[in-house]
Amino acid sequence: MNKQEMNDEDLLRKFLNPERIEKAPEGFISKTLTRIQIETQSAKVNKGFFVKNMVPIISATITAGLIIAAIIIPAGETGSVGSTIWKYIQDLEFTLPVINNNYLREFSLPGWVPYIIIGIFLLGFFDRALFGIFHKEKTPKSP
Amino acid sequence: MDPKGDIFYIGQVLEGKISAFSYLVDKHKDKAYNLAFRICGNREEAEEIAQDAFLKAYRSLKDFKRKSSFATWLYRIVYNTAISLVRTRKNRVLSVEEFPVDAVDFLSFSSSEEEAADDYRNSLINFALQKISEEERGLITLYYYNELDIEEISKITGISRSNIKVRLFRARQKMAAIIRKVEMKNVFYHE
Repeated sequence: MNKQEMNDEDLLRKFLNPERIEKAPEGFISKTLTRIQIETQSAKVNKGFFVKNMVPIISATITAGLIIAAIIIPAGETGSVGSTIWKYIQDLEFTLPVINNNYLREFSLPGWVPYIIIGIFLLGFFDRALFGIFHKEKTPKSP
Repeated sequence: MDPKGDIFYIGQVLEGKISAFSYLVDKHKDKAYNLAFRICGNREEAEEIAQDAFLKAYRSLKDFKRKSSFATWLYRIVYNTAISLVRTRKNRVLSVEEFPVDAVDFLSFSSSEEEAADDYRNSLINFALQKISEEERGLITLYYYNELDIEEISKITGISRSNIKVRLFRARQKMAAIIRKVEMKNVFYHE
């Protein structure tokens, strides 16, 4: 160390008092521990990937199903999938108990009601899906 | 000081006793906060950085290899968090003219003359620290305030020992020049 360096060192030592450190503000410990407790509790609530992303997954599945159905069902034959399913259910009649659903035929609903219900369900799913995508919690990187 | 030491309490925390972490926070809070404050120069941000560092340390406690002390490991987190925060915001560079020439008179409101002089020295050091780079601020704090050796500073900062010596030399030189300049200005003002 030359003379200049020693002078600099002495000057800094004169001004810089190691005992004069900036102390953490009052309530620092309790604030930090509260943050840790919140972190621990939220970590316990953390669920698996499929449970956490259930809504987007269901939504994506329905969308994919609709796209596949649109591709598979030939144009102008809208009833083909429904009748196939109904036929399948009828075939199951041998193993399942027969349910008397005659009373259902006595009800008559306006034709637009099923469309409204389906529309509400779809909008609900999309709303939840968008919420799930854009409101994900950010987890900081560990050091 | 608790004879059980950091390792004992780390073991307790890993066994699920969160309250044991309060010992570690209490023991290291001041030096962690001081390091954050000297690097970023803002009390609110320093508190946030120090809290974040403890939170990160808590989360990664199971990965703590015990090759170094808990303090060294914690300071490393504080140092990196503070440096990256300072780099993300554009830091205003102060000129020497911005240090109040009447600082000594103003600070002499403190209870004693000695206290006033200590306050003045502290504010001048803070001022000089803000004039050097954030990395140099970290090195100066670790070396002079935390009183760590070059080896430990190297572990904290990830900078080689020879490089630390060079950077410390430069930082010391810059700070000394700033202090001399301000002191000179104050002498003229008070004459």
